[in-house]
Amino acid sequence: MSGITWHYVLKFIITGDAAVGKSSLLIRLTDQRFLANPDPTLGVEFGSKLITIPEEDKIVKLQCWDTAGTESFRSITRSYYRGAAGCLLVYDVTSRKSFTNTRSWLADVREHADPHLTCILVGNKVDLCEGDLNGRRREVPTEEAELWAKEEGLLFVEASAKSGQNVEDAFVRAASDILSKIRRGVFDDDRSPGVKLSKPNGDLALEQGRAKQACCS
Amino acid sequence: MEFFSQTYVALRGPTGAPQTAADTIGKLSDRLSPATLLADRRAAVLALKGLARDCKHDVGDRALPGLLEVLSNDAEVDAEIGKAVLETLNILCDVEEGLSTSKEVGFKHTDYVLANEKTVHILFALLGDSNFYTRLATLQYLSTLLQNRRQVVQSYFLKAPTGTGSVVSVLEDKREVIRNEAIMMVQGLISQSPDIQKVLAFEGAFEKLFNTVTQEGGVEGGAVANAALTCVDGLLRFNTSNQSYFRETPLPPVLCSLLLFPPSLQNRDSAPQEFALQFWDGQKQANATLVVGIIGMLIGTKGSSAQEASAFTRCLVEMALASNAPTPLKTQALRLLPSNLNFPLSEIVLTPYMPVPETNGEEWDRLEPASALDALTELALHGEYNGLESAKRIKEGLELRAAAVSVFENFVRKDEIKLAIVQAMLPTEDTGPSGVPMTPLLHALITPPSSTSSLDSASVTSTHLAALLFSHLLRSSPRAKSLARLITPPPASTHPEHGAGNFFVPADGAPPPPPPHPEFDDDEPPQTLLHILSENLSLSFLSRSRASTSDRESREWDRLVVGYLCLLSQWLWEDPESVRDFLDAGGFGVLVEPINQTSEVDSIVPALCAFLLGICYEFDREPGEITRTTIYPILSRLSVDTLVGRMARLREDDRFKAVGPDSVVLPYPSASYLQPSLKPETEDEGEIWFDWAFVDFWKSNYYTIQRGLSTEPDQLSSASGQNAETVMLVASLRDVIRNQSEEIERLQRQLKDRSSSQEDELIALKKQVDTLSSELQVSEERRRDTEKEQEDLLVLLDEVTSKRKRDKARLREAGQEVSEDEGDDDDDDDGNSE
Repeated sequence: MSGITWHYVLKFIITGDAAVGKSSLLIRLTDQRFLANPDPTLGVEFGSKLITIPEEDKIVKLQCWDTAGTESFRSITRSYYRGAAGCLLVYDVTSRKSFTNTRSWLADVREHADPHLTCILVGNKVDLCEGDLNGRRREVPTEEAELWAKEEGLLFVEASAKSGQNVEDAFVRAASDILSKIRRGVFDDDRSPGVKLSKPNGDLALEQGRAKQACCS
Repeated sequence: MEFFSQTYVALRGPTGAPQTAADTIGKLSDRLSPATLLADRRAAVLALKGLARDCKHDVGDRALPGLLEVLSNDAEVDAEIGKAVLETLNILCDVEEGLSTSKEVGFKHTDYVLANEKTVHILFALLGDSNFYTRLATLQYLSTLLQNRRQVVQSYFLKAPTGTGSVVSVLEDKREVIRNEAIMMVQGLISQSPDIQKVLAFEGAFEKLFNTVTQEGGVEGGAVANAALTCVDGLLRFNTSNQSYFRETPLPPVLCSLLLFPPSLQNRDSAPQEFALQFWDGQKQANATLVVGIIGMLIGTKGSSAQEASAFTRCLVEMALASNAPTPLKTQALRLLPSNLNFPLSEIVLTPYMPVPETNGEEWDRLEPASALDALTELALHGEYNGLESAKRIKEGLELRAAAVSVFENFVRKDEIKLAIVQAMLPTEDTGPSGVPMTPLLHALITPPSSTSSLDSASVTSTHLAALLFSHLLRSSPRAKSLARLITPPPASTHPEHGAGNFFVPADGAPPPPPPHPEFDDDEPPQTLLHILSENLSLSFLSRSRASTSDRESREWDRLVVGYLCLLSQWLWEDPESVRDFLDAGGFGVLVEPINQTSEVDSIVPALCAFLLGICYEFDREPGEITRTTIYPILSRLSVDTLVGRMARLREDDRFKAVGPDSVVLPYPSASYLQPSLKPETEDEGEIWFDWAFVDFWKSNYYTIQRGLSTEPDQLSSASGQNAETVMLVASLRDVIRNQSEEIERLQRQLKDRSSSQEDELIALKKQVDTLSSELQVSEERRRDTEKEQEDLLVLLDEVTSKRKRDKARLREAGQEVSEDEGDDDDDDDGNSE
């Protein structure tokens, strides 16, 4: 347990329509299991995970805030956009409506979040389309989503929280994009609220606090 | 001032006639409209502020809409008018002081202000203003609004576009006054709103608050540190999401550091003295209480890593058992230890301290290191600092001891631990009967009640608490009960040095070597613990019925009796063999008498006696001298109804009713109407009668006993919840088990037989192989000998043949006739023919 440390802490938010599988994606990422029948998220839930970005040779701690997709919580979830470095914009590939709504979610994100925030469009529940040759269940074609993501400058991936396919990949791609932004100097390390170097917070002068940081994973 | 005079001149009017307040307010309100000059509006606001306190109702009625408009239009632009309007509004909405009508007005104004979200949003936006007075007044006003109508403000806050950012940034305002005010405001803002708690945590409120705490000097800090810690507590409590986020931060170890406890202390290292011995005052205690509370919350909830949990547990254990922290803090630390405690209490070694007498707590003696389990038992049995103050029985001290008992209860929840501790009280084989271990727990338990007139209340409490501890060891563990039956403690009365109980030895470690006691009758087998307890019980009954005892003293005797009876009830429950032992020790007669005494003032002793009697009857299932058939007529003579009635009265007793899982200690004297002459000796004297475990035990089992009392002696157990069907089922299952175990035994025996016979065979075969091989060797040797002999003979033959040839040649030379054929083929034939 000790000895594991990280180079950056990145704050992520997961957003999108209700019941597209945001919480399931997070649980899949943090616990490697599938949450079969989760209760709807109320407000916001928190989860975290250490991931390695091979091409940068960096260990990154992801702090993910899983937001509620229900409309009544929308104003609350908006409070979280501002402090985030990355955003997973999730829709359900078997629900046309959830894909259409990503436009309004994206507008929300663009309005409230840091302009340099990295956003990745995630089409969830692809497991439902497997072996489904005539494509009856799928309502959002991969090509269409990909095209839209390109137009909007978003990363794009299709994933399944149930099978685990591409879930970690989605986070890794978003994180490495953020790291490359950091390398290019887009984020001014401590200025952006969503990115933190792992150096100890200078104000916390307590020695133990610093020592412990390396080992409380 | 110029504005003032101008305004007043204008208001007074040309005639100079006196005006009513209402008129003035009306005119001032008109001046608030945006049409007037800023300077005029400012003057009007200031004037209204002056009037607001005295004419709250009128000012509110007339000026509130105008004031709110000023707030939204001017406050940002002009700091002075902003401050004035905020202060005026604050006065108008204030419900703190004044009569109830003024409070109503305050609420009415608050409701008006909060009719829509606009004002609240403006206020949160104003927090971004760096002007000192604007910020301060905004914070104060927000606090007032939160206090009056918290939920409304909270719901508006969540929709405010700039809410969280500005709140978190005022938390680290360099100006102390503002920062402190902000902390107070946040306390109200986060209250009971998990959403706001999460948003603030997301924005980094934890870091800011901990900065404040450390800047203020940690637990040594004053009210501000306290408020900041309260905020941290508020952000975490009942909010699992924030708790898991908090664990991700480097902050949890800081909690330990705040108490000066090194968070990375290894189990084998001892805690530093600067943690154990600190100077404490009221403020520090309040701050430390908050820190300990947060630590307890974090260990108590799942999701903490093993390392974190063990550091926190260690911190609490050290604080409770080996520090000079104030008693309530120690109690809190013990109570917050998780109930599924899996902390190696017996492996942690700690160093308890004792105050040096007469130094007013400034000098401390270090005691011998002891295991945490021993220190815990010691604390429960004798109180803080080796029972220094235990004779006074302060409520706080008793609370601490009761908390120690419940930690012990949690610790021995596993059967193996119970058994290990009970086992340690049994004589070990290598020490022999004289080396019977005497643990402090056992010692306190069997200390006989003094037969002299003065009863030491400290030792009564020790014995009582020992009975509680011991009952935790035995309750619902048949194996522990049967082990405990074998305990034969050395007679305590023969070691006067043990008497006072003011010594410190490990509870289950090496006890002081018990001195030989030749004066003790060697012929008599040592008494078992159960015998000693029933004897002590009867002794206590005798002493308490003596006429000379004072009310106070007889209450002490009652308490002792209650302690014994509770332990015995839990011990004998469902354990026929213990019932047998108890009845053989004459326990039955001891119980009958108090039930019979009708003049009993106190209802709990007869009730418990009746209960124990019922248990004896119910579980008297072993053959012996006193059987159910012998008890039954006595029960009938006492009358079952009387017994049931006696038992029923326990539940009505305050001393029984008041006990809860967390409240074991009662103020002395509880249920005082029974003995009106009793007065507490010290101001906050407390007393313990029952613990929750017993109350729980009683409530779930008294009915079984009540019904059992009226069953015939030859009837089966009336155990509640078991109808005939389950009884039969159990019986048949038992049969099955018995058959199966017999079968297993038989098969095992067979297996053993088989394997042993096989072994025999193997040995025989080996032996045979041995003999055969030796025979083989012998015959081989013989063969070799024969071969050699044969060779010798051949050589001989050869010689003979050559000699014969020579002889023949000689004969031929001599002219004698020699048969030729014989000479030709002699080589071939010789070997055979000769």
